[in-house]
Amino acid sequence: MSEIAGSRFTGAQPRAAVALASMWTYLGVLPFFAFIIAFLIFPATNLFAGAFQDAKGHFTLVNIQELFSPYILKAYRTSLEVSLITSVSGGVLGFFVAYAITMGAAPRWVRNMLLTFSGLAANFGGVPLAFAFIATMGRTGFVTAILKSICYTAADASKVCPLDPYEAGFNLYGTVGLAVTYTYFQFPLMVLVITPAIEGLKREWREAAENLGATPWQYWRHIGFPVLLPSILGAMLLLFGSAFGAYATAQALTGGSILLVTIVIGQQIRGDVLGNTNLGYALALGMVVVMAVCIAFYTLLERRSSRWLKR
Amino acid sequence: MAFLEISGVTKLFGQGAGAAVDDFSLSIERGEFISFLGPSGCGKTTTLRVVAGFEQPTSGSVHINGVDVSSVAANRRNIGMVFQSYALFPNMTVAENVGFGLRVAAQPATVVQARVAEMLELIRLPDYGRRYPHQLSGGQQQRVALARALAVQPQLLLLDEPLSALDAKIRVELRAEIRRIQQELKLTTIYVTHDQEEALSLSDRIVVMNVGRIEQVGTPFEIYNYPRTAFTASFVGHLNLLPVQVTDAATGACMFEGTPLASSQAAPANQNGTARLAIRPEELVLSGAGGNRLTGRVLSVNFLGNVVRLRVRVGAVELSVDLFNERKLVLPAVDAQVELSFPAHACWLME
Repeated sequence: MSEIAGSRFTGAQPRAAVALASMWTYLGVLPFFAFIIAFLIFPATNLFAGAFQDAKGHFTLVNIQELFSPYILKAYRTSLEVSLITSVSGGVLGFFVAYAITMGAAPRWVRNMLLTFSGLAANFGGVPLAFAFIATMGRTGFVTAILKSICYTAADASKVCPLDPYEAGFNLYGTVGLAVTYTYFQFPLMVLVITPAIEGLKREWREAAENLGATPWQYWRHIGFPVLLPSILGAMLLLFGSAFGAYATAQALTGGSILLVTIVIGQQIRGDVLGNTNLGYALALGMVVVMAVCIAFYTLLERRSSRWLKR
Repeated sequence: MAFLEISGVTKLFGQGAGAAVDDFSLSIERGEFISFLGPSGCGKTTTLRVVAGFEQPTSGSVHINGVDVSSVAANRRNIGMVFQSYALFPNMTVAENVGFGLRVAAQPATVVQARVAEMLELIRLPDYGRRYPHQLSGGQQQRVALARALAVQPQLLLLDEPLSALDAKIRVELRAEIRRIQQELKLTTIYVTHDQEEALSLSDRIVVMNVGRIEQVGTPFEIYNYPRTAFTASFVGHLNLLPVQVTDAATGACMFEGTPLASSQAAPANQNGTARLAIRPEELVLSGAGGNRLTGRVLSVNFLGNVVRLRVRVGAVELSVDLFNERKLVLPAVDAQVELSFPAHACWLME
């Protein structure tokens, strides 16, 4: 009885009141959509359109054509290299650190300290990070200075300083230095993202495997790693994206002497006479395409590696 | 020496904490089905994990088939284990799960395949080999876990509360299945549970545990009918306790609120005249003729199907009375005066 009465009551409600009620529901997310439209959809459409226009606004494919010039192709290659190297190095390092703090016998406070540090370091990028590295590992950085000062006199009376990093070929202002600097925020990011996944491995899985005669290595090969693989892939993609889009760190560290795509874009849209804003748009479009390819590739891998999750 | 010999096993977790397992010794014969029964935290699971090799005992040893396995790693003990949470590998199909132990032992694929098929037949899920664990119900998952543990032909099977996560109907069904398979394979089995019904219905012998110690070891019949400690008596089955004055410690005669009662055993020593008279609800009958008699008032009548449970107030205590249901049974009304009787051999005195 009460059910019938209830439905009659809602039926009697005016349509307008219902519409108003549902509008109230959406009011809360209105700022979000406004934000998305103003700062994502609008610029993205603009960027896409701009990539196919010349300075006067006429349709052209010249910008796209220019992406395949050696200068720009090299920038893409450098960007991809740095991103790939640091997402793998940061990913592997981060994975083992996360593994150590979850599976190892380290006390709780070490774990908490490491996670707090990771939260901090993962967001410590840009100019401050670049200067921090210049101050420590730069040509006159204090770590460099310490390493430089460790010398001995060789048999032929010449002075040998075996630990001088710059003598050994290290250069903070080159690709290697960039990779080292990026790894500083890459690996804590990996720790943050992968720790919950490692915690999700059930103790019983390891024990059941052990019980069935598996060695720890066999457990990891057949269960631990396959179960974690989708999460690892996802985390590394995130790392790749964060390195691929980084600009300020590289700019501050190398003063623009390393050509990354982001730096080339910066040169084009800075607004001086040498710049070509529309080429900048095309470059950005190229980055979008690279990321889209990465995500497609990831989706494919993820689907294959987590067949067991699909219903 | 028995097939499985657990001698003086003690397990301490950290300094200062009480012993999780305290001087546990037990001999288990080949093919026996043993249950560890007790409340949570009584040490039953820890003892099982010591046998499995997941925990190192602080002292004591475990011998299987005459071999001291105390320092043998868990993955070399050849013991099958079934976990409460099933613990199936989520990234493997049912067949891959069942065949895992054989594959890591580098058995040829044909052998693995044949054994997997045989195991799936045993657990009556022959067509489920290609499914993933998440596509199975809890009961099916646990049966697969059982098959996985049995596939490697373990010398010992350990089950850690395997049915606790399942609903009542499946639990009873799977219980019978486990017993059938165990008897078919004549497999020495240890079954950990806090469910007395499971322990009573499955086991050859039950080990009742409390705070890390063995309270009593015996057949289900012995444990239920002749509990040796107050803990066992109250943990296994329902028990009525009457505070009594012991009038003759040697014969077990006593007095409850002015009514003389006879019991079967001598009263426990070190008593200053008071004790508790224990009696199971099903031993009490309404207005019977023989033995001890008590008069009380019916507080409630609960119809449970095969039995009817009455709550009866006798003096200062409330007693449970279980009557077997039958169609000609006439149930007393609430507030009615009833006469309860029980024979002397049905009750015993406890501290």
